Amino acid sequence: MLQYIAPASGLLFTLQNILWINIGVFIGAVFAAIPGLTVVLCVILFLPLTYSLSAIPGMMFLLGIYCAGGYGGSVSAILINTPGTPHAAATMLDGHPLSKAGRTKAALKIALYASTFGGIFSALALLFLGPQVAKLAAQLGTPEYFMVCVFGLTIIAGVSGKSIIRGVIAACLGLLISCIGSDPMTSYDRFTFGIRRLYLGLDVAVCLIGLFALVEIVSRAEQKPDALHMDARKMRDNGTITKEEYKRLVRPTLMGSLIGVMVGIIPGTGASEASWFSYSQAKNMSKHKEEFGNGSVEGIAAAESANNAVTGATLIPLLTLGIPGDGTVAIMLSALMINGLNPGLSLFTTQGDIMYAIMLGLILVNIFMLLQGKILTPIFAKVVSIPQEILTPIIVIFCFAGAYSVNKNYFDVCVALVFCVLAWILRKLDMPPVPILLGLVLGKMTETNFRRALLISNGSPKIFVSSVYCWIFIGLIVLAVGTILRNQIKEKKARAASVSKEE
Amino acid sequence: MKKRSIRRLCLVLALVMVLGISGATSAFAAETWTVTCPYAASGVAAVVSNKAAEKSVEYSDSITLVAEAIPGGEATMNTWILDHTANDPNLVFVGEGVLSITALLDPAKLQFDYEDLAYVENLYSSIFVMSADAKLEINNIDDLKAYVAEADEISVATNGATSSEAFLVAALFGSMEAGDKLKLVPYQSAAEAAQAVSKGETDFAVSHQSQILEAYNQGAVTVVCAFDGEDLESEYFGTVEGVGKYGYPYFRNRCPIMAAAGTDEEKIAELKELYDEILADEEVVEWLHETMLLEVDPLTKEELEEHLANVKSIAEEYMDVVVG
Repeated sequence: MLQYIAPASGLLFTLQNILWINIGVFIGAVFAAIPGLTVVLCVILFLPLTYSLSAIPGMMFLLGIYCAGGYGGSVSAILINTPGTPHAAATMLDGHPLSKAGRTKAALKIALYASTFGGIFSALALLFLGPQVAKLAAQLGTPEYFMVCVFGLTIIAGVSGKSIIRGVIAACLGLLISCIGSDPMTSYDRFTFGIRRLYLGLDVAVCLIGLFALVEIVSRAEQKPDALHMDARKMRDNGTITKEEYKRLVRPTLMGSLIGVMVGIIPGTGASEASWFSYSQAKNMSKHKEEFGNGSVEGIAAAESANNAVTGATLIPLLTLGIPGDGTVAIMLSALMINGLNPGLSLFTTQGDIMYAIMLGLILVNIFMLLQGKILTPIFAKVVSIPQEILTPIIVIFCFAGAYSVNKNYFDVCVALVFCVLAWILRKLDMPPVPILLGLVLGKMTETNFRRALLISNGSPKIFVSSVYCWIFIGLIVLAVGTILRNQIKEKKARAASVSKEE
Repeated sequence: MKKRSIRRLCLVLALVMVLGISGATSAFAAETWTVTCPYAASGVAAVVSNKAAEKSVEYSDSITLVAEAIPGGEATMNTWILDHTANDPNLVFVGEGVLSITALLDPAKLQFDYEDLAYVENLYSSIFVMSADAKLEINNIDDLKAYVAEADEISVATNGATSSEAFLVAALFGSMEAGDKLKLVPYQSAAEAAQAVSKGETDFAVSHQSQILEAYNQGAVTVVCAFDGEDLESEYFGTVEGVGKYGYPYFRNRCPIMAAAGTDEEKIAELKELYDEILADEEVVEWLHETMLLEVDPLTKEELEEHLANVKSIAEEYMDVVVG
């Protein structure tokens, strides 16, 4: 490895590369901050720009978009309670309440720092442990992927609010909605009711706009005008994060980064799953559980570090085995192959300087993301001080434009509206919308891996306990469920105690 | 916040929105032709489409190709047909599998066929290879025959359940009279299928050559046969027996580019000319051969229709063996 670092540095540290990194970072951050405009869409749109570039500047530009997109999604999640991208949904749970409490800059700063840490952590994992981690990932198969999904579903309990039962019902609804479209195993259509546009299924980004953004607008319409204006005292936000808060951020950020790397190396999973896993674990392990959902700094750090730690990790199977970890990385694979680079371990010896330049470049991308983020944070933070009567129509236009741009058709705008109505009804019934999103994110992957595993084993469920890795995941699931139950019992006892005290 | 600052901020937001929407709808270039690939963005067709898009700028001042990948196979095709009418500046990659299976699988629901499309050009042909878990030590068709005779079940990983790869496998084992032993295990992409066999999840996998190369280099798989009439002479895999030599059915994978039916013939001719120029580029030929392990393969309309007829007959065999 060391023999490649010097030539790789020579290839990487050029004015052209640094310029492309910065352009990519800026585009990625701004694009992802707009609801509906996902990172994948951004990479597709700007891919033609890389055609005239050689492999390294082209990859630097795309990596800039990819990493900054991870952070950009959190901006709108914090500011307007609408995640710019699906993987920023977990950030929204605490980011927006913290912003509403008058600490917008602090929330944005925490998201930025955690994202940068997660990104650099995963870049280092890629640089030093890439081939070894890839070999481990290659041992995970269909039953292990299914176990990861089940583990993911345990998160529902953590985001169900007051009632787990209601959370489970909402998650089931999400799982059901994820079945819409052509069957991933047989290609036959399901729940399409003759609507041909439903054959492709529903796009999570479109559902997200209805579930969180549009319903928020509707609920604002229900409030009295006075209630919409922020308290002037709360506007004096200097973005300070206290020493004690920094200390509290260490553990969730580290854990989130680790979870992000672990999830990222599994093809098919991505930043959304990682951020939820991390958020849930941070909540379970926190000494301040009551703050989660009400503006916890730990919640923001856990979610953001995890979703950016995925960026380097998804490159591990890509560069070492030629398997893209997620949709965005799949497009990057295309960019590499266009330049005659067919990823795989052999490329580390034949084109080692280029491979290491890309890996070192990922660290550089994260550093520039931090620098640009520092400049952009005060500008972003000003959004909350725009009067609601001006901001709300802008958000609505962004939402509709975002929903339209996903597949460039009006049908998706209607889907977003349907989800808005659904979310509004669920609000009235005191049902949480986040489990629906979890069901949507995990549904197809859970189903596909479950059915495929049973197909491989000829219907024997023993396949789910057939490897050490399966047992490790079972252990984690048991641990997660146990922690949830313990917390529930504790809360019940505490509630009972407070009631008896009052009496 | 001062009114002036608010105005400025609103202006910036509006500008960002306009740029976002314009970018998203590709409103900048009037002669931009978007080429939709209904397969994984990491798949062979999508990568080739990107390369063609890159080259289009060199060869045409009037047409710029923009590649996009929307995985979903026939479901994506279905939506594409719904969205596009004659002379829309949109093209689509149509794998032979998609055109062959829709008529057989569920014609009432997947409402498109060859008549809905106007042929532009075929860019490449790919010889699929079948790889085996290295532990099975199957290196050629004789080894395969011996294995098939002994095995109770033969599991094969393919890219989806109704893909060209699935048809080829069904036709091969059907011809070996082992169709009843065949178990198709569908994955989301050919690359995933190739990984499955290297992990030992299945006995075999069918994929493009480039997708199995890394697993082969690592010794995790052996390459058993190629779905072609003659032996495949590969600098990476050595000599790989072609199934056609043994009288088994085969076809090369082709992914023609189509426009919506009714598109002006002049425009189609212009697009075809552009693609032909790209395909004549030495760099593209070398890249397709060296990196993608494919061959440049422009086809006439008649040749394409002959190819589709052959695939359709093999798809019917698939229906007998797999669907029953």
